[in-house]
Amino acid sequence: MFISDCRREFYDVIVSQRVLLLVASDVDALCACKILQALFQCDHVQYTLVPVSGWQELETAFLEHKDQIKLLVKQDDDLDVPAYDDIFRDEEDEEEDSENESDGSEPSEKRRRFEEDVIERTMKRRQRREWEARRREILFDYEQYEYHGTSSAMVMFDLAWIMSKDLNDMLWWAIVGLTDQWVQEKITQMKYVTDIGILQRHVSRHNHRNEDEENSLSIDCMRIAFEYDLRLALYQHWSLYESLCNTSYTSASLKLWSVQGQKRLQEFLADMGLPLKQVKQKFNSMDMSLKENLREMIEESANKFGMKDLRVQTFSIHFGFKNKFSASDIVYATASLMENIEKEGPETTNFIKALDSLSRGNLDKLHQGLDLAKKQLRAIQQTVASCICTNLVISQGPFLYCSLMEGTPDVKLFSKPVSLCLLSKYLLKSFVCSTKNKRCKLLPLIMAAPMDVEQGTVIMVGIPPETESSDKKNFFGRAFEKAADSTNSRTLHNHFDMSIIELKTEDRSKFLDALVSLLS
Amino acid sequence: NEHSERMRKFKNKGKDAAALRRQRVEVNIELRKAKKDEQILKRRSISFSLMDESLSPREDKRNEIIQLSLEEIIEAVNGSNAELQLQATQATRRMLSRQKDPPINQIIELGIIPRLVEFLTHADNAPLQFEAAWALTNIASGTSDHTKAVVEGGAIPAFISLLSSPHMHISEQSVWALGNIAGDGPLYRDALIKCNVIPPLLALVSPVTPVGFLRNITWTLSNLCRNKNPYPPLDAVKKMLPVLICLMKHEDKDIISDSCWAVSYLTDGSNDRIQIVVDTGILPRLVELMASPELIVMTPALRAIGNVVTGTDEQTQAAIDAGVLAVLPRLLQHAKPTIQKEAAWTLSNIAAGPCRQIQQLITCGLLPPLVELLDKGDFKAQKEAVWAVANFTTGGTVEQVVELVQSGVLKPLLNLLLAKDSKTILVILDTISNLFLAAEKLGETERLCLLVEELDGLDKIEALQTHDNNMVYRAALNIIEKYFSGE
Repeated sequence: MFISDCRREFYDVIVSQRVLLLVASDVDALCACKILQALFQCDHVQYTLVPVSGWQELETAFLEHKDQIKLLVKQDDDLDVPAYDDIFRDEEDEEEDSENESDGSEPSEKRRRFEEDVIERTMKRRQRREWEARRREILFDYEQYEYHGTSSAMVMFDLAWIMSKDLNDMLWWAIVGLTDQWVQEKITQMKYVTDIGILQRHVSRHNHRNEDEENSLSIDCMRIAFEYDLRLALYQHWSLYESLCNTSYTSASLKLWSVQGQKRLQEFLADMGLPLKQVKQKFNSMDMSLKENLREMIEESANKFGMKDLRVQTFSIHFGFKNKFSASDIVYATASLMENIEKEGPETTNFIKALDSLSRGNLDKLHQGLDLAKKQLRAIQQTVASCICTNLVISQGPFLYCSLMEGTPDVKLFSKPVSLCLLSKYLLKSFVCSTKNKRCKLLPLIMAAPMDVEQGTVIMVGIPPETESSDKKNFFGRAFEKAADSTNSRTLHNHFDMSIIELKTEDRSKFLDALVSLLS
Repeated sequence: NEHSERMRKFKNKGKDAAALRRQRVEVNIELRKAKKDEQILKRRSISFSLMDESLSPREDKRNEIIQLSLEEIIEAVNGSNAELQLQATQATRRMLSRQKDPPINQIIELGIIPRLVEFLTHADNAPLQFEAAWALTNIASGTSDHTKAVVEGGAIPAFISLLSSPHMHISEQSVWALGNIAGDGPLYRDALIKCNVIPPLLALVSPVTPVGFLRNITWTLSNLCRNKNPYPPLDAVKKMLPVLICLMKHEDKDIISDSCWAVSYLTDGSNDRIQIVVDTGILPRLVELMASPELIVMTPALRAIGNVVTGTDEQTQAAIDAGVLAVLPRLLQHAKPTIQKEAAWTLSNIAAGPCRQIQQLITCGLLPPLVELLDKGDFKAQKEAVWAVANFTTGGTVEQVVELVQSGVLKPLLNLLLAKDSKTILVILDTISNLFLAAEKLGETERLCLLVEELDGLDKIEALQTHDNNMVYRAALNIIEKYFSGE
């Protein structure tokens, strides 16, 4: 159901009911969930939380709880949802097609005269055919590409704000939700910047600095601050060196998989006047003098080395003496917890842990997440380096293809969709920087990794090409469906992101062949 | 087990997920559609008031919808208040002209038909005549019982009278009503003809008659030509034909189409009926229309010509002289299987003619498309093609038969021995016998045997010796014994 008034048509309706909350497995969804949970707590709404990782789980959960009447699809202005009348025809307009005017059958023996004139009906029929043709085009365009609209967490925050129930905590979750979209490259740069602007206004409202009051605010209170920060992953909880090596932007720009790349890194550090020993220490232990103006310094040097976007608009959260986290830190940590391959109990344990880590009280979980995130980022960079150095990324014509072999270190990490997507995106960035082939630089990438060795399945993702002004639209969902159909490959299109599928290893080659011909 | 659960999902080739997704979209949309119901009601009433204005130009502008109950309708119709009579008739007409499920039975049960028929005679109240005519038209458009109710109400003479109404929309409506009555079957068709419907009907056709009206007239005429047991009376046919010929030269495709259908009905009978049509000189026009890219025009034209060549050799010659053989090849390869079939049937009947006509088939290049149809055509068309070949071998000279074989007909013909249809197999075996007879005359039996063998025909014929059908197995046996018993 499409909703235009979030408060009246959604919240006011469910606040008096028992609610079933179905939450997808991505950080943005988790953040939206947190906000809703906070609102529910406020209003004493009873709810059941069910994590779902794909369409099948969604259906199962829905069927199990069928008394729950409404299914929610979020209304969004920036999604080009076609107008109702363009797709659906009300039944009263159905006509009896008793005159088969174009197929040459015998005239009817008897004819009834309808309300309208024959000419009118012919006009209507012609209009209908035009409408159907246009409808086909619209649906084709709509279903052809997948892309993302506004972060669900931001939508939930907006709802809370409309109801004047918004809290700083909720604002933080909205920030994390948006940042997740940015980290996963689901939205365009412009959308990100616009949404940052929106959130910034809220941040100012909630966290205005009043010189007099600054001292009266307890240090335990949570504060959000706008930052024009370095886009170096986890750098404040790591060493600057590690962060530089394991952030895809720097790693790809400096080409750190090569010997020259390593040299360039040294030059870069030297240019900034940062001794290697310092830079390899934990960030918090770095000399204060070096940390002063660090951002400006790094930015200046980065420009010399072809990295013009080393800083990014974002937010950070402070509470207590030690606790300062950047939004992206939380995104990486939460995602890693969610996709943790160490299973510590039933399926949903990881999900719940990830959800919990978003609450300020669960710092231990957050730190665990940060550690896992570091492991993940390292694994990604190592895998990227190895793929580039061993030429594992090959062009299949209309797309690039890379397949991780069984037995590759850390390959188990990449059996999870978000991790695999992240790997693919970073790999593509690095590949584009490494290759001299102009054509290859413009191609999309399909990445495959073993999913379950026993069952002989492979997980495959398709990501759009790496371009300056990418609109982030992904056509692989459709393409995968068609290729699977035409080859009778055994595939599972369970993920909400249709560009992620599982398939049987045996069917992989014919599936890929079909994709090549489809997209050529 | 979580793993096997997952694997079970794989067997479905991911279709489940895709289907799921479609389902998901639909569920959402249904919920959204519910909102639209209010709008629907509004739209209906708007269209009603628009209808009032456009259909009854002479009426007082009645823009309000007058809802009458069925009781009120009976009362008004049986009363003497003209206003109420009109309102009730109009309300009845509206009910009968709605898109879905008009309540014809209910209206008949009201018993108002005789009254409505009576209204047709109210020359001083044109709106009433019109509404009554429309309502009765729609009742007559139903089942035979429905039409019967209208006829038994005395509608026939009333409508025939109205053909001469000074109001065009009323005479047009009467044409329509009479079309429905004629279309019910030969009984009512002939009743109409006996009541002298044809002269006033034909009088309505003029160069200034509007196209829509002409369409109705042509359709009604076609119903008057339609149906067998019995055929329409010859004198009626002779009266209608000139006008039909004229209409067939119109530029509107619907008019052309219905007039071709009328002529196709008229040619579907005894040879003297065919002759009447041939005598009009319309065959060239029919052949021209056979070549039309419009299916609604080409189909009845082909049917009509197909009927003509079921007649005498002279009548078939008239069709050939009109140029049918130039158009036929393309139709043999038409995308639509029914067209292929009718074209092949037409060809088979021409091939049943004397050898000079068979020669014309050859010279006009009909053999290659025939062979191709035999090879790749739709099965029903192939059956007709088999007949064409059979007729060819029966009526053709030895030289013509040789040409036939040289065109490569044997291979696809023998392949069709694998068909399940016994009749077709018998015809093929018969044809093969004919081929051998021709071969004998030339002393080329050996060659033909070899050819048949090379084309895997011998195996197939041998296999037929064990066919269920008595006649098939005997025919097959006959051929084997006569020509393949290996001396």
